[in-house]
Amino acid sequence: MMAALVQVEDLSKIYGGVRALDKVSFEVYPGEWIAIMGPSGSGKTTLINILGGLDRPTSGRALVDGVNVGTLGERELTRYRAEKVGFVFQNFHLVPYLSALENVMLAQYFHSIADEKEAAQALERVGLGDRLDHLPGELSGGEQQRVALARALINHPNLLLADEPTGNLDEANEQMVLEILRELHGSGHTILLVTHSQEIGRMADRRIELAHGRLVHIVANVS
Amino acid sequence: MFWRILWRLLYASRGRLALAILAVASGAAVCAALLNVDLDATDKLTREFRALGANVVVSATQNGDAAGTMDANLIGQISDLHLPDVVAAAPYLYLSANAKAGENNSGVIVAGTLFDEVARMNSWWKVDGLWVASRDDRTQCMIGELAASRLGLTPGKSVTVTYAGRAVTLQVRGIVTTGSSEDSQIFVVLPVAQELSGLGDRITLIQIMARGSAAEIQGVIHRLSTALPAAQVRPLRQIAEAEGQLLARIRGLLAGTVGLILVLTALGVLAAMAGLAVERRRDVGLMKALGGPVRRIMRFFLAEATAIAFTGGIAGCLVGMALSEWIGERIFSVSISPRLIVIPATLALMIVVSLAGALPLRLLGRVRPAEILRGE
Repeated sequence: MMAALVQVEDLSKIYGGVRALDKVSFEVYPGEWIAIMGPSGSGKTTLINILGGLDRPTSGRALVDGVNVGTLGERELTRYRAEKVGFVFQNFHLVPYLSALENVMLAQYFHSIADEKEAAQALERVGLGDRLDHLPGELSGGEQQRVALARALINHPNLLLADEPTGNLDEANEQMVLEILRELHGSGHTILLVTHSQEIGRMADRRIELAHGRLVHIVANVS
Repeated sequence: MFWRILWRLLYASRGRLALAILAVASGAAVCAALLNVDLDATDKLTREFRALGANVVVSATQNGDAAGTMDANLIGQISDLHLPDVVAAAPYLYLSANAKAGENNSGVIVAGTLFDEVARMNSWWKVDGLWVASRDDRTQCMIGELAASRLGLTPGKSVTVTYAGRAVTLQVRGIVTTGSSEDSQIFVVLPVAQELSGLGDRITLIQIMARGSAAEIQGVIHRLSTALPAAQVRPLRQIAEAEGQLLARIRGLLAGTVGLILVLTALGVLAAMAGLAVERRRDVGLMKALGGPVRRIMRFFLAEATAIAFTGGIAGCLVGMALSEWIGERIFSVSISPRLIVIPATLALMIVVSLAGALPLRLLGRVRPAEILRGE
Protein backbone atom coordinates (compact mmCIF):
# COMPACT_ATOMS: atom_id res chain seq x y z
CA MET A 1 0.00 0.00 0.00
CA MET A 2 1.15 3.53 -0.82
CA ALA A 3 2.61 5.51 2.12
CA ALA A 4 0.57 8.50 3.29
CA LEU A 5 1.92 11.93 2.39
CA VAL A 6 0.07 13.53 5.31
CA GLN A 7 -0.55 11.81 8.62
CA VAL A 8 -2.56 13.67 11.23
CA GLU A 9 -2.79 11.94 14.61
CA ASP A 10 -4.85 13.24 17.54
CA LEU A 11 -4.10 16.79 16.51
CA SER A 12 -5.37 19.45 18.94
CA LYS A 13 -5.01 23.21 19.06
CA ILE A 14 -6.21 25.36 21.93
CA TYR A 15 -6.38 29.16 21.64
CA GLY A 16 -6.73 30.69 25.12
CA GLY A 17 -9.16 28.05 26.37
CA VAL A 18 -10.97 27.61 23.04
CA ARG A 19 -10.43 24.19 21.49
CA ALA A 20 -10.02 25.01 17.77
CA LEU A 21 -9.02 21.43 16.94
CA ASP A 22 -9.85 18.43 19.07
CA LYS A 23 -7.97 15.18 18.49
CA VAL A 24 -8.31 15.13 14.73
CA SER A 25 -6.79 12.17 12.87
CA PHE A 26 -6.70 11.34 9.16
CA GLU A 27 -4.32 10.49 6.33
CA VAL A 28 -3.83 11.91 2.85
CA TYR A 29 -2.15 9.94 0.09
CA PRO A 30 -0.01 11.33 -2.73
CA GLY A 31 -2.06 12.68 -5.62
CA GLU A 32 -5.25 12.97 -3.58
CA TRP A 33 -7.55 16.01 -3.60
CA ILE A 34 -9.06 16.48 -0.17
CA ALA A 35 -11.76 19.00 0.60
CA ILE A 36 -11.88 20.18 4.20
CA MET A 37 -15.38 21.32 4.99
CA GLY A 38 -17.43 22.58 7.88
CA PRO A 39 -19.09 25.66 9.26
CA SER A 40 -17.19 28.80 10.31
CA GLY A 41 -15.13 28.19 13.45
CA SER A 42 -14.96 24.46 12.88
CA GLY A 43 -11.13 24.51 12.73
CA LYS A 44 -10.58 24.23 8.96
CA THR A 45 -8.10 27.12 8.68
CA THR A 46 -6.35 26.12 11.92
CA LEU A 47 -5.82 22.63 10.50
CA ILE A 48 -4.44 23.92 7.21
CA ASN A 49 -2.21 26.48 9.01
CA ILE A 50 -0.67 23.72 11.15
CA LEU A 51 -0.05 21.55 8.09
CA GLY A 52 1.48 24.58 6.35
CA GLY A 53 3.83 25.35 9.25
CA LEU A 54 2.17 28.69 9.98
CA ASP A 55 0.89 27.58 13.36
CA ARG A 56 1.91 24.98 15.95
CA PRO A 57 -0.31 22.27 17.44
CA THR A 58 -1.00 22.11 21.15
CA SER A 59 -0.80 18.31 21.07
CA GLY A 60 -0.83 15.45 18.60
CA ARG A 61 1.22 15.01 15.47
CA ALA A 62 1.05 16.37 11.93
CA LEU A 63 3.47 14.58 9.62
CA VAL A 64 4.01 15.79 6.08
CA ASP A 65 6.29 13.67 3.93
CA GLY A 66 7.58 12.09 7.13
CA VAL A 67 8.36 15.43 8.81
CA ASN A 68 6.62 16.20 12.12
CA VAL A 69 5.75 19.82 11.50
CA GLY A 70 4.94 20.58 15.15
CA THR A 71 8.45 19.77 16.36
CA LEU A 72 10.40 21.81 13.82
CA GLY A 73 12.50 24.73 15.04
CA GLU A 74 11.93 28.22 13.61
CA ARG A 75 14.64 27.86 10.96
CA GLU A 76 13.54 24.36 9.85
CA LEU A 77 9.95 25.54 9.74
CA THR A 78 10.97 28.36 7.39
CA ARG A 79 12.71 25.86 5.09
CA TYR A 80 9.67 23.59 5.32
CA ARG A 81 7.36 26.38 4.16
CA ALA A 82 9.67 27.23 1.29
CA GLU A 83 10.19 23.65 0.09
CA LYS A 84 7.34 21.32 1.08
CA VAL A 85 4.14 23.33 0.80
CA GLY A 86 2.49 25.85 -1.49
CA PHE A 87 -0.17 28.19 -0.10
CA VAL A 88 -3.20 29.77 -1.77
CA PHE A 89 -5.26 32.13 0.39
CA GLN A 90 -8.80 33.38 0.08
CA ASN A 91 -7.53 37.00 0.01
CA PHE A 92 -4.78 36.19 -2.52
CA HIS A 93 -2.11 37.84 -0.34
CA LEU A 94 0.11 39.16 -3.09
CA VAL A 95 2.78 41.77 -2.33
CA PRO A 96 1.08 44.91 -3.68
CA TYR A 97 4.19 46.71 -4.95
CA LEU A 98 5.63 43.70 -6.81
CA SER A 99 4.46 42.78 -10.30
CA ALA A 100 2.77 39.42 -11.01
CA LEU A 101 6.12 38.09 -12.23
CA GLU A 102 8.00 39.41 -9.19
CA ASN A 103 5.44 37.92 -6.80
CA VAL A 104 6.19 34.50 -8.28
CA MET A 105 9.93 35.19 -8.29
CA LEU A 106 9.77 36.18 -4.61
CA ALA A 107 8.82 32.58 -3.71
CA GLN A 108 11.71 31.33 -5.85
CA TYR A 109 14.07 33.80 -4.17
CA PHE A 110 13.14 32.51 -0.70
CA HIS A 111 13.43 28.91 -1.89
CA SER A 112 16.75 29.20 -3.75
CA ILE A 113 17.40 31.35 -6.81
CA ALA A 114 14.90 33.51 -8.70
CA ASP A 115 14.51 32.38 -12.31
CA GLU A 116 12.59 34.94 -14.35
CA LYS A 117 12.03 32.62 -17.30
CA GLU A 118 10.59 29.82 -15.18
CA ALA A 119 8.39 32.28 -13.29
CA ALA A 120 7.08 33.68 -16.58
CA GLN A 121 6.28 30.14 -17.80
CA ALA A 122 4.38 29.42 -14.56
CA LEU A 123 2.25 32.51 -15.16
CA GLU A 124 1.70 31.53 -18.80
CA ARG A 125 0.41 28.13 -17.60
CA VAL A 126 -2.32 29.87 -15.58
CA GLY A 127 -3.19 32.09 -18.53
CA LEU A 128 -1.41 35.26 -17.41
CA GLY A 129 1.36 35.43 -19.99
CA ASP A 130 0.23 38.92 -20.94
CA ARG A 131 0.00 40.19 -17.35
CA LEU A 132 3.57 39.60 -16.17
CA ASP A 133 4.40 43.20 -15.36
CA HIS A 134 1.04 44.14 -13.90
CA LEU A 135 0.82 45.05 -10.24
CA PRO A 136 -1.81 43.16 -8.19
CA GLY A 137 -3.91 46.31 -8.07
CA GLU A 138 -4.11 46.22 -11.85
CA LEU A 139 -5.40 42.61 -11.93
CA SER A 140 -8.91 41.23 -11.34
CA GLY A 141 -9.58 38.96 -8.35
CA GLY A 142 -9.44 35.84 -10.52
CA GLU A 143 -6.16 36.96 -12.08
CA GLN A 144 -4.68 37.67 -8.66
CA GLN A 145 -5.69 34.22 -7.47
CA ARG A 146 -4.06 32.66 -10.53
CA VAL A 147 -0.85 34.57 -9.73
CA ALA A 148 -1.11 33.13 -6.20
CA LEU A 149 -1.53 29.63 -7.70
CA ALA A 150 1.54 30.10 -9.91
CA ARG A 151 3.47 31.33 -6.86
CA ALA A 152 2.32 28.35 -4.75
CA LEU A 153 3.44 25.85 -7.40
CA ILE A 154 6.69 27.47 -8.56
CA ASN A 155 8.89 25.54 -6.11
CA HIS A 156 7.21 22.18 -6.89
CA PRO A 157 5.83 21.60 -3.38
CA ASN A 158 4.69 18.14 -2.20
CA LEU A 159 1.45 19.60 -0.91
CA LEU A 160 -0.79 22.42 -2.14
CA LEU A 161 -2.80 24.03 0.66
CA ALA A 162 -5.68 26.21 -0.48
CA ASP A 163 -7.81 28.12 2.04
CA GLU A 164 -11.11 28.94 0.31
CA PRO A 165 -9.33 29.94 -2.90
CA THR A 166 -12.58 30.82 -4.67
CA GLY A 167 -14.25 32.52 -1.70
CA ASN A 168 -13.69 36.02 -3.08
CA LEU A 169 -14.26 35.27 -6.75
CA ASP A 170 -17.20 35.62 -9.08
CA GLU A 171 -18.53 32.51 -10.80
CA ALA A 172 -16.50 32.89 -14.00
CA ASN A 173 -13.25 33.32 -12.13
CA GLU A 174 -14.19 30.55 -9.71
CA GLN A 175 -14.58 28.15 -12.62
CA MET A 176 -11.26 29.25 -14.06
CA VAL A 177 -9.44 28.60 -10.74
CA LEU A 178 -11.24 25.26 -10.25
CA GLU A 179 -10.24 24.22 -13.72
CA ILE A 180 -6.59 24.89 -12.89
CA LEU A 181 -6.95 22.88 -9.66
CA ARG A 182 -8.54 20.05 -11.63
CA GLU A 183 -5.58 20.08 -14.03
CA LEU A 184 -3.14 20.07 -11.14
CA HIS A 185 -4.96 17.13 -9.60
CA GLY A 186 -4.89 15.38 -12.92
CA SER A 187 -1.14 15.84 -13.14
CA GLY A 188 -0.63 14.20 -9.75
CA HIS A 189 -0.53 17.13 -7.30
CA THR A 190 -1.75 16.55 -3.75
CA ILE A 191 -4.28 19.20 -2.78
CA LEU A 192 -5.89 20.07 0.56
CA LEU A 193 -8.59 22.61 -0.05
CA VAL A 194 -10.74 24.35 2.53
CA THR A 195 -14.22 25.21 1.22
CA HIS A 196 -17.76 25.92 2.29
CA SER A 197 -19.09 24.93 -1.09
CA GLN A 198 -20.68 21.49 -1.40
CA GLU A 199 -20.19 21.64 -5.15
CA ILE A 200 -16.41 22.16 -4.82
CA GLY A 201 -16.37 19.55 -2.08
CA ARG A 202 -17.84 17.00 -4.45
CA MET A 203 -15.01 17.66 -6.95
CA ALA A 204 -12.43 16.32 -4.42
CA ASP A 205 -11.56 12.64 -3.93
CA ARG A 206 -12.57 12.78 -0.31
CA ARG A 207 -14.27 15.27 2.01
CA ILE A 208 -13.13 15.75 5.62
CA GLU A 209 -15.93 17.35 7.58
CA LEU A 210 -15.19 19.22 10.80
CA ALA A 211 -17.52 20.66 13.43
CA HIS A 212 -16.43 22.45 16.62
CA GLY A 213 -12.85 21.31 15.99
CA ARG A 214 -13.78 17.65 15.76
CA LEU A 215 -13.66 15.41 12.74
CA VAL A 216 -17.27 14.47 12.06
CA HIS A 217 -16.69 12.14 9.15
CA ILE A 218 -14.63 11.49 6.06
CA VAL A 219 -16.62 10.94 2.89
CA ALA A 220 -15.17 9.43 -0.26
CA ASN A 221 -16.72 10.91 -3.42
CA VAL A 222 -17.73 8.50 -6.09
CA SER A 223 -16.64 9.80 -9.47
CA MET B 1 16.25 39.78 -7.12
CA PHE B 2 17.38 41.46 -3.91
CA TRP B 3 17.99 44.80 -5.65
CA ARG B 4 14.79 44.45 -7.67
CA ILE B 5 12.70 43.98 -4.53
CA LEU B 6 14.64 46.68 -2.70
CA TRP B 7 13.94 49.15 -5.48
CA ARG B 8 10.23 48.26 -5.41
CA LEU B 9 10.18 48.69 -1.62
CA LEU B 10 11.85 52.09 -1.87
CA TYR B 11 9.54 53.21 -4.65
CA ALA B 12 6.41 51.96 -2.89
CA SER B 13 7.24 53.84 0.32
CA ARG B 14 8.71 56.91 -1.33
CA GLY B 15 6.54 59.31 0.67
CA ARG B 16 7.60 58.04 4.07
CA LEU B 17 11.16 57.48 2.90
CA ALA B 18 11.34 61.05 1.59
CA LEU B 19 10.51 62.22 5.11
CA ALA B 20 13.22 60.00 6.55
CA ILE B 21 15.71 61.20 3.93
CA LEU B 22 14.78 64.79 4.72
CA ALA B 23 15.40 64.16 8.42
CA VAL B 24 18.77 62.57 7.66
CA ALA B 25 19.73 65.27 5.13
CA SER B 26 18.91 68.02 7.64
CA GLY B 27 20.90 66.27 10.36
CA ALA B 28 23.78 65.58 7.99
CA ALA B 29 23.85 69.19 6.79
CA VAL B 30 24.15 70.59 10.30
CA CYS B 31 26.60 67.87 11.39
CA ALA B 32 28.81 68.32 8.32
CA ALA B 33 28.74 72.10 8.74
CA LEU B 34 29.64 71.98 12.41
CA LEU B 35 32.30 69.29 11.95
CA ASN B 36 33.83 71.36 9.18
CA VAL B 37 33.71 74.46 11.35
CA ASP B 38 35.25 72.49 14.20
CA LEU B 39 38.09 71.21 12.02
CA ASP B 40 38.77 74.27 9.92
CA ALA B 41 37.55 77.29 11.82
CA THR B 42 39.19 76.44 15.13
CA ASP B 43 42.46 76.03 13.26
CA LYS B 44 41.95 79.34 11.54
CA LEU B 45 40.78 81.00 14.73
CA THR B 46 43.97 79.80 16.39
CA ARG B 47 45.88 81.54 13.64
CA GLU B 48 43.69 84.61 14.07
CA PHE B 49 44.42 84.66 17.77
CA ARG B 50 48.10 84.37 17.00
CA ALA B 51 47.71 87.42 14.79
CA LEU B 52 46.55 89.42 17.79
CA GLY B 53 50.08 90.38 18.70
CA ALA B 54 52.90 89.03 20.79
CA ASN B 55 52.58 85.83 22.77
CA VAL B 56 56.18 85.58 24.07
CA VAL B 57 58.22 88.25 25.84
CA VAL B 58 61.99 88.35 26.31
CA SER B 59 63.04 90.69 29.11
CA ALA B 60 66.03 91.36 31.32
CA THR B 61 66.64 89.03 34.26
CA GLN B 62 66.41 90.38 37.79
CA ASN B 63 70.22 90.39 37.87
CA GLY B 64 70.35 92.89 35.00
CA ASP B 65 71.26 96.57 35.14
CA ALA B 66 69.47 99.11 37.31
CA ALA B 67 67.40 100.46 34.39
CA GLY B 68 66.08 96.92 33.73
CA THR B 69 67.47 96.94 30.22
CA MET B 70 69.39 94.36 28.23
CA ASP B 71 71.79 94.24 25.32
CA ALA B 72 70.23 94.97 21.92
CA ASN B 73 72.41 92.23 20.42
CA LEU B 74 69.79 89.77 21.65
CA ILE B 75 67.72 90.71 18.57
CA GLY B 76 70.48 89.48 16.31
CA GLN B 77 70.87 86.31 18.39
CA ILE B 78 67.17 85.54 18.05
CA SER B 79 67.33 86.17 14.32
CA ASP B 80 70.35 83.84 14.02
CA LEU B 81 68.33 80.99 15.57
CA HIS B 82 66.13 80.95 12.40
CA LEU B 83 63.14 79.65 14.33
CA PRO B 84 60.49 78.87 11.71
CA ASP B 85 57.58 79.48 14.11
CA VAL B 86 58.71 83.03 14.98
CA VAL B 87 56.67 85.39 12.80
CA ALA B 88 58.00 88.65 14.20
CA ALA B 89 60.31 89.88 16.96
CA ALA B 90 60.06 93.54 17.95
CA PRO B 91 62.50 95.09 20.44
CA TYR B 92 61.31 97.97 22.61
CA LEU B 93 63.17 100.55 24.61
CA TYR B 94 60.72 102.46 26.79
CA LEU B 95 61.35 105.94 28.16
CA SER B 96 59.10 108.12 30.26
CA ALA B 97 59.60 111.43 28.42
CA ASN B 98 57.96 114.78 27.85
CA ALA B 99 56.34 115.76 24.55
CA LYS B 100 55.59 119.26 23.26
CA ALA B 101 53.58 120.18 20.20
CA GLY B 102 52.87 123.87 19.78
CA GLU B 103 51.26 125.04 23.02
CA ASN B 104 50.48 121.51 24.18
CA ASN B 105 52.76 119.75 26.60
CA SER B 106 52.34 116.25 28.03
CA GLY B 107 54.20 113.38 29.64
CA VAL B 108 54.33 110.34 27.36
CA ILE B 109 55.92 106.94 27.09
CA VAL B 110 58.37 106.87 24.19
CA ALA B 111 58.81 103.44 22.63
CA GLY B 112 61.82 102.88 20.42
CA THR B 113 61.29 99.93 18.15
CA LEU B 114 61.61 98.40 14.66
CA PHE B 115 58.49 99.48 12.79
CA ASP B 116 58.54 96.66 10.23
CA GLU B 117 58.44 94.06 13.01
CA VAL B 118 55.75 95.96 14.91
CA ALA B 119 53.62 96.22 11.77
CA ARG B 120 53.94 92.48 11.10
CA MET B 121 53.03 91.63 14.67
CA ASN B 122 50.08 94.01 14.94
CA SER B 123 48.42 93.85 11.58
CA TRP B 124 45.10 94.69 13.23
CA TRP B 125 46.27 98.15 14.43
CA LYS B 126 44.38 100.94 12.78
CA VAL B 127 46.70 103.56 11.33
CA ASP B 128 45.62 107.04 10.30
CA GLY B 129 48.44 108.10 7.95
CA LEU B 130 51.38 105.78 7.27
CA TRP B 131 53.81 103.50 9.06
CA VAL B 132 57.37 104.74 9.42
CA ALA B 133 59.02 102.96 6.49
CA SER B 134 62.68 102.70 7.49
CA ARG B 135 64.49 101.43 10.59
CA ASP B 136 66.86 104.42 10.33
CA ASP B 137 64.31 107.17 9.80
CA ARG B 138 65.29 109.53 12.64
CA THR B 139 62.97 112.30 11.50
CA GLN B 140 59.55 110.65 11.82
CA CYS B 141 57.45 109.00 14.48
CA MET B 142 54.07 107.43 15.05
CA ILE B 143 51.79 108.33 17.91
CA GLY B 144 48.96 106.66 19.77
CA GLU B 145 45.56 108.29 19.32
CA LEU B 146 45.16 109.37 22.97
CA ALA B 147 48.57 110.99 23.03
CA ALA B 148 47.88 112.61 19.65
CA SER B 149 44.62 113.97 20.98
CA ARG B 150 46.25 115.41 24.10
CA LEU B 151 48.95 117.07 22.03
CA GLY B 152 46.63 118.11 19.20
CA LEU B 153 48.67 116.20 16.64
CA THR B 154 47.67 115.00 13.23
CA PRO B 155 49.82 113.33 10.53
CA GLY B 156 52.36 115.80 9.14
CA LYS B 157 52.64 117.90 12.33
CA SER B 158 55.78 118.01 14.49
CA VAL B 159 56.39 117.02 18.10
CA THR B 160 59.44 117.59 20.28
CA VAL B 161 60.34 114.83 22.72
CA THR B 162 62.59 115.58 25.68
CA TYR B 163 64.26 113.06 28.01
CA ALA B 164 66.98 113.75 30.58
CA GLY B 165 67.82 117.06 28.91
CA ARG B 166 68.13 115.53 25.44
CA ALA B 167 65.55 116.51 22.83
CA VAL B 168 64.54 115.46 19.34
CA THR B 169 61.90 116.90 17.02
CA LEU B 170 59.99 114.44 14.86
CA GLN B 171 57.26 114.65 12.25
CA VAL B 172 54.12 112.54 12.89
CA ARG B 173 53.75 110.01 10.05
CA GLY B 174 50.79 108.09 11.41
CA ILE B 175 48.38 107.92 14.33
CA VAL B 176 47.69 104.42 15.66
CA THR B 177 44.59 103.12 17.37
CA THR B 178 45.17 99.88 19.30
CA GLY B 179 42.59 99.96 22.08
CA SER B 180 45.42 99.36 24.51
CA SER B 181 48.24 101.18 26.36
CA GLU B 182 49.98 101.86 23.04
CA ASP B 183 47.37 104.56 22.40
CA SER B 184 49.22 106.78 24.89
CA GLN B 185 52.71 106.19 23.46
CA ILE B 186 54.96 107.79 20.88
CA PHE B 187 56.79 105.31 18.64
CA VAL B 188 60.22 106.20 17.31
CA VAL B 189 62.92 104.14 15.59
CA LEU B 190 65.13 102.32 18.10
CA PRO B 191 68.31 104.44 17.57
CA VAL B 192 66.40 107.64 18.40
CA ALA B 193 65.17 106.17 21.71
CA GLN B 194 68.64 104.84 22.50
CA GLU B 195 70.20 108.30 21.88
CA LEU B 196 67.54 109.98 24.03
CA SER B 197 68.09 107.48 26.84
CA GLY B 198 71.83 107.94 26.79
CA LEU B 199 72.15 104.23 27.60
CA GLY B 200 73.66 103.24 24.26
CA ASP B 201 72.85 99.95 22.64
CA ARG B 202 70.18 98.79 25.16
CA ILE B 203 66.55 97.66 24.96
CA THR B 204 63.84 97.06 27.60
CA LEU B 205 62.26 93.95 26.10
CA ILE B 206 61.55 92.01 22.93
CA GLN B 207 58.02 91.06 21.99
CA ILE B 208 57.79 87.90 19.90
CA MET B 209 54.87 86.59 17.89
CA ALA B 210 55.13 82.82 17.44
CA ARG B 211 52.64 80.73 15.52
CA GLY B 212 51.40 77.19 16.14
CA SER B 213 49.72 75.28 18.92
CA ALA B 214 50.35 75.88 22.60
CA ALA B 215 52.89 73.04 22.53
CA GLU B 216 54.72 74.55 19.57
CA ILE B 217 54.88 77.92 21.28
CA GLN B 218 56.20 76.23 24.38
CA GLY B 219 58.90 74.73 22.14
CA VAL B 220 59.85 78.20 20.92
CA ILE B 221 60.09 79.43 24.51
CA HIS B 222 62.30 76.50 25.43
CA ARG B 223 64.69 77.14 22.53
CA LEU B 224 64.88 80.85 23.27
CA SER B 225 65.53 80.22 26.98
CA THR B 226 68.37 77.87 26.11
CA ALA B 227 69.88 80.23 23.55
CA LEU B 228 69.50 83.38 25.68
CA PRO B 229 70.62 82.49 29.21
CA ALA B 230 71.08 86.19 30.09
CA ALA B 231 67.41 86.95 29.45
CA GLN B 232 64.08 85.90 30.82
CA VAL B 233 61.71 84.30 28.28
CA ARG B 234 58.07 83.90 29.23
CA PRO B 235 54.73 83.44 27.50
CA LEU B 236 51.96 85.99 27.65
CA ARG B 237 49.79 83.58 29.60
CA GLN B 238 46.59 85.56 29.81
CA ILE B 239 46.24 85.63 26.05
CA ALA B 240 47.14 81.96 25.65
CA GLU B 241 44.75 80.87 28.38
CA ALA B 242 41.88 83.07 27.23
CA GLU B 243 42.41 81.75 23.73
CA GLY B 244 42.45 78.15 24.96
CA GLN B 245 39.30 78.64 27.02
CA LEU B 246 37.45 80.31 24.19
CA LEU B 247 38.41 77.59 21.72
CA ALA B 248 37.47 74.88 24.24
CA ARG B 249 34.06 76.51 24.68
CA ILE B 250 33.51 76.81 20.96
CA ARG B 251 34.46 73.15 20.44
CA GLY B 252 32.26 72.07 23.35
CA LEU B 253 29.33 73.98 21.90
CA LEU B 254 29.90 72.41 18.49
CA ALA B 255 30.19 68.88 19.93
CA GLY B 256 27.05 69.36 22.03
CA THR B 257 25.10 70.65 19.05
CA VAL B 258 26.26 67.76 16.86
CA GLY B 259 25.18 65.29 19.58
CA LEU B 260 21.77 66.93 19.86
CA ILE B 261 21.33 66.95 16.09
CA LEU B 262 22.18 63.24 15.90
CA VAL B 263 19.55 62.43 18.52
CA LEU B 264 16.95 64.55 16.71
CA THR B 265 17.85 62.91 13.39
CA ALA B 266 17.47 59.45 14.91
CA LEU B 267 14.06 60.47 16.28
CA GLY B 268 13.04 61.77 12.84
CA VAL B 269 14.05 58.49 11.20
CA LEU B 270 12.40 56.57 14.04
CA ALA B 271 9.08 58.35 13.47
CA ALA B 272 9.16 57.65 9.73
CA MET B 273 10.25 54.04 10.23
CA ALA B 274 7.66 53.33 12.92
CA GLY B 275 4.95 54.23 10.39
CA LEU B 276 6.68 52.10 7.81
CA ALA B 277 6.88 49.14 10.20
CA VAL B 278 3.11 49.19 10.66
CA GLU B 279 2.64 49.32 6.88
CA ARG B 280 5.06 46.45 6.34
CA ARG B 281 3.65 44.00 8.92
CA ARG B 282 1.41 42.31 6.37
CA ASP B 283 4.18 42.04 3.78
CA VAL B 284 6.59 40.56 6.31
CA GLY B 285 3.96 38.07 7.49
CA LEU B 286 3.35 37.03 3.91
CA MET B 287 7.08 36.75 3.13
CA LYS B 288 7.52 34.53 6.18
CA ALA B 289 4.55 32.40 5.08
CA LEU B 290 6.27 31.93 1.72
CA GLY B 291 9.35 30.56 3.48
CA GLY B 292 11.33 33.79 3.70
CA PRO B 293 14.01 33.56 6.41
CA VAL B 294 13.86 36.42 8.92
CA ARG B 295 17.45 37.44 8.17
CA ARG B 296 16.80 37.65 4.46
CA ILE B 297 13.64 39.68 4.98
CA MET B 298 15.30 42.05 7.46
CA ARG B 299 18.15 42.58 5.01
CA PHE B 300 15.70 44.46 2.79
CA PHE B 301 14.83 46.84 5.58
CA LEU B 302 18.41 47.36 6.73
CA ALA B 303 19.36 48.08 3.12
CA GLU B 304 16.52 50.57 3.03
CA ALA B 305 17.84 52.31 6.15
CA THR B 306 21.35 52.38 4.65
CA ALA B 307 20.00 53.81 1.39
CA ILE B 308 18.25 56.52 3.40
CA ALA B 309 21.48 57.27 5.26
CA PHE B 310 23.51 57.49 2.03
CA THR B 311 21.03 59.58 0.09
CA GLY B 312 20.28 61.93 2.96
CA GLY B 313 23.90 61.92 4.10
CA ILE B 314 25.39 62.89 0.74
CA ALA B 315 22.77 65.56 0.09
CA GLY B 316 23.25 66.86 3.63
CA CYS B 317 27.06 66.93 3.29
CA LEU B 318 26.85 69.12 0.20
CA VAL B 319 24.48 71.53 1.91
CA GLY B 320 26.58 71.36 5.08
CA MET B 321 29.74 72.41 3.29
CA ALA B 322 28.02 75.50 1.97
CA LEU B 323 26.52 76.11 5.41
CA SER B 324 29.93 75.90 7.08
CA GLU B 325 31.25 78.59 4.75
CA TRP B 326 28.33 80.79 5.69
CA ILE B 327 28.83 80.13 9.43
CA GLY B 328 32.55 80.83 9.07
CA GLU B 329 32.04 84.14 7.36
CA ARG B 330 29.02 85.36 9.34
CA ILE B 331 29.89 84.15 12.83
CA PHE B 332 33.65 83.69 13.02
CA SER B 333 34.67 86.05 10.20
CA VAL B 334 37.04 83.48 8.75
CA SER B 335 36.78 81.71 5.43
CA ILE B 336 36.26 77.97 5.87
CA SER B 337 37.58 75.43 3.39
CA PRO B 338 35.78 72.11 2.93
CA ARG B 339 37.56 69.22 4.68
CA LEU B 340 37.05 65.93 2.82
CA ILE B 341 37.27 63.87 6.02
CA VAL B 342 33.95 65.44 7.04
CA ILE B 343 32.10 63.52 4.26
CA PRO B 344 32.94 59.94 5.38
CA ALA B 345 32.62 60.98 9.03
CA THR B 346 29.14 62.42 8.46
CA LEU B 347 28.07 59.44 6.34
CA ALA B 348 29.23 57.03 9.05
CA LEU B 349 27.30 59.01 11.66
CA MET B 350 24.19 59.03 9.48
CA ILE B 351 24.38 55.26 8.88
CA VAL B 352 24.62 54.64 12.63
CA VAL B 353 21.77 57.07 13.29
CA SER B 354 19.58 55.62 10.52
CA LEU B 355 20.13 52.05 11.68
CA ALA B 356 19.28 53.14 15.22
CA GLY B 357 16.20 54.91 13.87
CA ALA B 358 15.26 51.78 11.93
CA LEU B 359 15.04 49.72 15.12
CA PRO B 360 11.22 49.45 14.91
CA LEU B 361 11.66 47.53 11.65
CA ARG B 362 13.55 44.85 13.57
CA LEU B 363 10.38 44.14 15.51
CA LEU B 364 8.93 42.94 12.22
CA GLY B 365 11.10 39.85 12.62
CA ARG B 366 8.72 38.77 15.41
CA VAL B 367 5.64 38.96 13.22
CA ARG B 368 3.70 35.67 13.23
CA PRO B 369 2.47 34.91 9.71
CA ALA B 370 -0.70 33.07 10.74
CA GLU B 371 -1.92 36.10 12.72
CA ILE B 372 -1.15 38.49 9.90
CA LEU B 373 -2.84 36.32 7.29
CA ARG B 374 -5.91 36.03 9.50
CA GLY B 375 -6.01 39.82 9.40
CA GLU B 376 -5.15 40.42 13.08
